[in-house]
Amino acid sequence: MIRSLRSVALAAIVSAAAIGSAPAETLVVAQNFDPQTLWPNGTTASDNLNAGSAIVEALFWVDPDGEEFKPLLAESYELEDNTTVLVRLRPGVRFTNGEPMDADAVVHSFNVFIDPAKTPAYARVSDPFQSVEKVDDLTVRMRLKYPFPPIRLALSQLYIVPPGYWNEVGLEAYGQRPIGTGPFMFDSWARDDRLEMVVNPDYWGTLPEGIDRIVWRPVPDDISRAAGLTTGEYHIAANLAVASALDVERQDGLKLVAVPSYRIYQVILSSLPEHASPLLDKRVRQALNHAVDKQAIIDNLLFGYGVPLRGQVLREPQLGFNPDLEDYAYDPDRARALLAEAGHPDGFEITFKFPSGRYAQDREVSEAVAGMLAEVGVRTNMVVLEPGEFLRQLRAKELQPMAFVGLAPQDDPDLQVSQYHSSWRYAYLNNPELDALIDAGKQEMDVEKRAQIYRDAMTLMYDEAPIIFLYGGVDFFGTSARVENSHARGDGRFFFYDVALR
Amino acid sequence: MLRYVLRRIVLTVPVIAGILLISFLLTHVSGDPTDLILPPDTPDEARALFREKHGLDRPIWVQFYVFSLHALQGDFGNSLRFHEPAVKLVTDRLGATTELAMAAMALAIAVGIPAGVVAAYRRNTAADVAIRAVSLFGQAVPSFYLGIVAILVFAVWLGWLPSGGRGTLAHLALPAITLALGLVALIARTTRSCMLDVLNQDYVRTARAKGLGEAPVVWVHALRNAFIPVLTVIGLQVGFLLGGVVVTETVFSWPGVGRLAVQAIYARDFPVVQAVVFFFALIFVIVNLIVDLLYAVLDPRIGYR
Repeated sequence: MIRSLRSVALAAIVSAAAIGSAPAETLVVAQNFDPQTLWPNGTTASDNLNAGSAIVEALFWVDPDGEEFKPLLAESYELEDNTTVLVRLRPGVRFTNGEPMDADAVVHSFNVFIDPAKTPAYARVSDPFQSVEKVDDLTVRMRLKYPFPPIRLALSQLYIVPPGYWNEVGLEAYGQRPIGTGPFMFDSWARDDRLEMVVNPDYWGTLPEGIDRIVWRPVPDDISRAAGLTTGEYHIAANLAVASALDVERQDGLKLVAVPSYRIYQVILSSLPEHASPLLDKRVRQALNHAVDKQAIIDNLLFGYGVPLRGQVLREPQLGFNPDLEDYAYDPDRARALLAEAGHPDGFEITFKFPSGRYAQDREVSEAVAGMLAEVGVRTNMVVLEPGEFLRQLRAKELQPMAFVGLAPQDDPDLQVSQYHSSWRYAYLNNPELDALIDAGKQEMDVEKRAQIYRDAMTLMYDEAPIIFLYGGVDFFGTSARVENSHARGDGRFFFYDVALR
Repeated sequence: MLRYVLRRIVLTVPVIAGILLISFLLTHVSGDPTDLILPPDTPDEARALFREKHGLDRPIWVQFYVFSLHALQGDFGNSLRFHEPAVKLVTDRLGATTELAMAAMALAIAVGIPAGVVAAYRRNTAADVAIRAVSLFGQAVPSFYLGIVAILVFAVWLGWLPSGGRGTLAHLALPAITLALGLVALIARTTRSCMLDVLNQDYVRTARAKGLGEAPVVWVHALRNAFIPVLTVIGLQVGFLLGGVVVTETVFSWPGVGRLAVQAIYARDFPVVQAVVFFFALIFVIVNLIVDLLYAVLDPRIGYR
């Protein structure tokens, strides 16, 4: 009897060892900066969001694999009409302090979300929301001020917090020690050194495999971050520089994840009458597009990691991308001819502003563009700007007549093309026809009609050439080869849903 | 003596006030924190609320007046990014910075002074030339570059030390050495030239004449007399150290004030920049006061009144 019990126990241990694979371990993630707050609606900085959203979850999320819209704390939503959204919540979910995740929690979080004094960084996507009401414990009805086609984008950024705890500690303290529904729980935080989270054993969904703890390390230096990945100190290093990325790619035991970024690089060619310059002539703007060899820039300065723009600012899978457009061909002779036609047979001199230290290879790319323009007779006076001053000038419409920028709006055609609407704070053009298309797209809830509006807008922008169309950026994440299913997205975000450490 | 100390302390007040005024103006005229902290597509109304909340909508001289009034009470305001008092952000990180700076200084003194003495005593020998060459190198190489090379060699290739972070002595080694190297060079060069002056003095000859061994002559009689200029250099180099931590802490992910300062400057997080400048200025002034007082200890002929 005793012997058989013992063998049963032994068999149990053996099979447990066989099934239970390797014991769970700590995943170490190196990002550039320590989060300022772990409340995801506190800032839009990806370093904050990546860490914060491991604890606090939104209603939905956008999976970068196929850009799929997936439910999290909501199960589904439905448009009752163009300005009313019914959201059904996932039943049986609790915050880790025991509070229920229900309609009351969503109503509370919604009201915080739409208050621009509390969430200034989200003002652009929260603006359409008017009010919310509880229908029953697991259903809420949201009302919009106006039809808002990117409604999914807004719903994926509404993070749900526990009202009891929030009211007890307040917004600031919540961000320092958040409680949520996510796969991880806050454990400890030594500022600027390490932020630790433990796995939430009662998580409503599937937990990441093989991970029982995450440590977030802020490592501001690009080379140090890559070095720590090589030495095995980190399992994931976010936001690598291209030179480090090439290194990571060559090493055994490491994986390079190259993600096409939402950032669109371009050279502003101001056509505003108050910015008097030869660029007011469309032919000159087209000429400059023909003068720049973007493939050479991508191959030589970005080591091939860039996506040439197809004569438009929308990206390939994006709604409204116009497949019929081809980019301006690199053709210096054509550029010279257009310049001559516009009355500049000997070219002209012009100011060209660019930032140093704001974007990957910003100085190098700007200098290359200037060199190519010189080939067709356009002599640039280069003005280099510190990133803070650069951003100030961008918004003050002082980046004129010509400037190198990389704009990274959120992933929706309206948020992308609105930047070229004459009413936009930093639009360097005023084209009533384009304005009309942008206004139409903003309110069109029918997906196919909306796509057509943006395709037309892209055709118009191509012809008007308000910018030199350069390239879409690529973000690099380095991971240990043991990390599987890391979902890295073009806005610097990555997610731990079904990640595994093997 | 006490009166001297009090007078010096009173004199620091206008010095620090002047430094704060300059840094206030420099940060406020270049760039707008709302551009750097909020996304570029933030609507103007939300921007206005942000400015109002942090008092950025007021004229700059009103902002400076309000800032000064609070600063007098030790309140530098809340960080624009962290929702925490700027002073707390700095004091939370002072420990890490002090640890790194002290380690670097101790290392620099422990290596620099003996190296300088040896170089002077064995003037124009291979040892002297070697020490001078290394000193020149140490002063010439920028610390961000040195730091990165150190990481590649000791962390990546050899695998002896961690690439960054704070914790054990192993974590301290690379940043402390990187920060110390420029200082070692300077201390060694200063010690060498001061020792050269002193070694020809009459009292050194007298010490030898009365039959003292070479070691006590050099290390006690000569060094003590050569030490005052060296001490002055060390005091002034606290400024170099505080500047050096800004770079070193960034390269080695060291959770200190220097790194906080860099990020605050990039984001135009005014309260934090002001708090860092205040603490750095205060430390610099206090250390130099201590150095001045040490003169009297080293050289009884110096008195303060």
